[in-house]
Amino acid sequence: MTPNETPLWDRYPGYDALSQQDHWEPATRRVVLDRVYRVPPIRFFSPGEVETLQAVVDTVLPQDDRPSEQRVPIVAYIDEAQHKGEIPGYRYEDMPDERTAWHWGLEGIEQTSLALYRRRFTDLGTDERHAVMARIQKGDPPGQVWQRMPARRFFQSILMAAVARAYYAHPFAWNEIGFGGPAYPRGYYALNHGAREHWEVDEQR
Amino acid sequence: MKLHVHLSPNWVLDEEMREYPTAEPVDAVIVGTGAAGGVMAQRLARYGFSVVALEAGDWADSEEGMVSDERASRELYWMDARVTGGSWPLELGDNNSGKTVGGTTVPYSAFCPRFHPSDLMVRTLDGVAVDWPIRYEELEPYYEQMEREYPVAGPSYFPWGKAHSYPYKPLASSTHGHKLIEGCLKLGIPVVAGGPVGIASGAFGKRPHCIFRGQCHLGCKVGAKHSTLVSHIPDAIRHGAEVRTRCMAFEIAVDDSGRATGVRYYRADSDGAHREEFQPARMVIVAGYAVETPRLLLNSRSSRFPNGLANSSGLVGKFLMTQAAHIAIGRYDDMIRQYKGPPAQVETEEFYETDPARGFARGFAIQSVGPLPIAMANMLISSQGLFGMDLRRAMADYNHYACWGILGELLPDERNYVALADDRDQFGLPVAYVHYNLFENDRKLIEYAVRKAVEIHQAAGAREVMVVEDSAHLIGTCRMGFTPQDSVVDKWCRSWDVPNLFIPDGSCLPTQGAANPALTISAIAARTADYIRSAAARREV
Repeated sequence: MTPNETPLWDRYPGYDALSQQDHWEPATRRVVLDRVYRVPPIRFFSPGEVETLQAVVDTVLPQDDRPSEQRVPIVAYIDEAQHKGEIPGYRYEDMPDERTAWHWGLEGIEQTSLALYRRRFTDLGTDERHAVMARIQKGDPPGQVWQRMPARRFFQSILMAAVARAYYAHPFAWNEIGFGGPAYPRGYYALNHGAREHWEVDEQR
Repeated sequence: MKLHVHLSPNWVLDEEMREYPTAEPVDAVIVGTGAAGGVMAQRLARYGFSVVALEAGDWADSEEGMVSDERASRELYWMDARVTGGSWPLELGDNNSGKTVGGTTVPYSAFCPRFHPSDLMVRTLDGVAVDWPIRYEELEPYYEQMEREYPVAGPSYFPWGKAHSYPYKPLASSTHGHKLIEGCLKLGIPVVAGGPVGIASGAFGKRPHCIFRGQCHLGCKVGAKHSTLVSHIPDAIRHGAEVRTRCMAFEIAVDDSGRATGVRYYRADSDGAHREEFQPARMVIVAGYAVETPRLLLNSRSSRFPNGLANSSGLVGKFLMTQAAHIAIGRYDDMIRQYKGPPAQVETEEFYETDPARGFARGFAIQSVGPLPIAMANMLISSQGLFGMDLRRAMADYNHYACWGILGELLPDERNYVALADDRDQFGLPVAYVHYNLFENDRKLIEYAVRKAVEIHQAAGAREVMVVEDSAHLIGTCRMGFTPQDSVVDKWCRSWDVPNLFIPDGSCLPTQGAANPALTISAIAARTADYIRSAAARREV
């Protein structure tokens, strides 16, 4: 980032989707405020898995450019979904069930890390972590786990799907991308030319 | 029992719903309450039949049970276990499967075009797949009924297929739709805006009109968008039908003469405990959509029907279809804000019919879509392989994307099917195994259609265009046909094997055209209901 470039998270300066909460109906307000203010505890992953997963999430969806109080607790939401046994309504025939896929996947990431760098994933630098995840995304990483579970499928359909579901469900992410958020019962009136509502903010880049 | 369900902000379904005892047979038990089941329940109740509709999901109260939130809307979808495979495995769950009163119509985007007359005779015209045992003219009056009852907004003159008019004027469209119009105009491609979509362009009964919140896929809290939950089920209940929720049908029972005697199901309490019940009936109607319908039939094995019920042809579960729904993402310099307005607002069917010069049979539509943030992120992840800061940077352009999808006809093939998997669900029942592949005509069609979608973006001034593979809708698996050997049901959706078993849902469609199927499924259900009424009068069911 050059000194004059707008930070990614501040392209809509001062936009705060949460500030509109009085215009949302109670059921949605409850869901979104719980997400922000009542971060669920870790109940599914082991302490070791949480360490790996946090490092993985910091790599595939880094937030270190954001003010620390503006970071989305992605790992907590991934854990909550697995604790509840949430599945997307299907599994691929070449994949184990969702929970097993997570256990195997985190183990596999450590195996790839060891094979490539002889160190745990959590001990790798930023570029090395990125390289490990790129190998997994490409589908040909070293590691015994990946002989029994397709790495690409894990990366895209399990890991990244969960990361996207956690991050882009959060008002902090909505502020970053200029998404209007919940819009019932008020709705939108500015439908033409990409116009903003009176309560939305113009983009600066 | 007394219902209390919000269907829109100011409309509460506050009816005393009739409850039928399980000790006595009812005239009809219907499995499913979606595009087919909801209409069937309403029609049969109005015709004086006693009706119980079993729904695996629950009522979704529009104020309390639906939320304006992409992550928190799981309750509307079929999120139970299934297995997907083949060389082009289909995404199920929130991509195409509802599980709530109103079925998949509750979270669908409500594009409601008709099929073209040619869709029902592709063997005759193009030498591919099969003809339907009915002609467009037989469906037409039911299309007209459904377009008034959903209702459907659209142009006064709709030029494709058999030209016709929509009863409600076009809905306003928003910037992402305007981009599709702009690109089509530059290329001289005819296009329509504001429909055909199942959202009334004015208040309709107790349903207010659209607030352009763009969250049709999360269920319509406004009640503006059609679902059978708001269009047909209230009327069904008023006319004495019972919608029995949290009831997972697992077997259709038959007697020694081979007639269906009712449906066995697991009924769950609000705390999740379930018990087995049996609803006897003089007639059974299966409307569980193209995955759960064949699963129920295949799970209904008996000594008389060892390969599953209604399956003497061996075709239950075969000829599964989906539509190619690849999405072209255009990045524009100007602001789009694609979350505003319904996803379904602009389309062209200019490429719908077979054109021999293109080198493949059948065709496609191009339709606007408006992915919400999580869906958009997944599109960028799967199409571009993005992660890390690259993903966040690409998503920071969320408001600069306009997206449209192809809706391409994929031909029925016996090698695409639904069968039973070894996996079991929460009831211990074998789950559906869904197997899909693309074949030569499909690939050629997709390649051409995607190229066209990309060209339209380029003509509209997109800075960059990306393409995501996707599929939409589930069709086939209990096809209707001409003989007991070539099909599962006859032209009235009646099982060739079990005379009092009807399958009027998306399963029965022999081909799927390049039109979104809900309206056609409802039209077929309404037609089947009329047949049942007249057949019952003749004592033929």
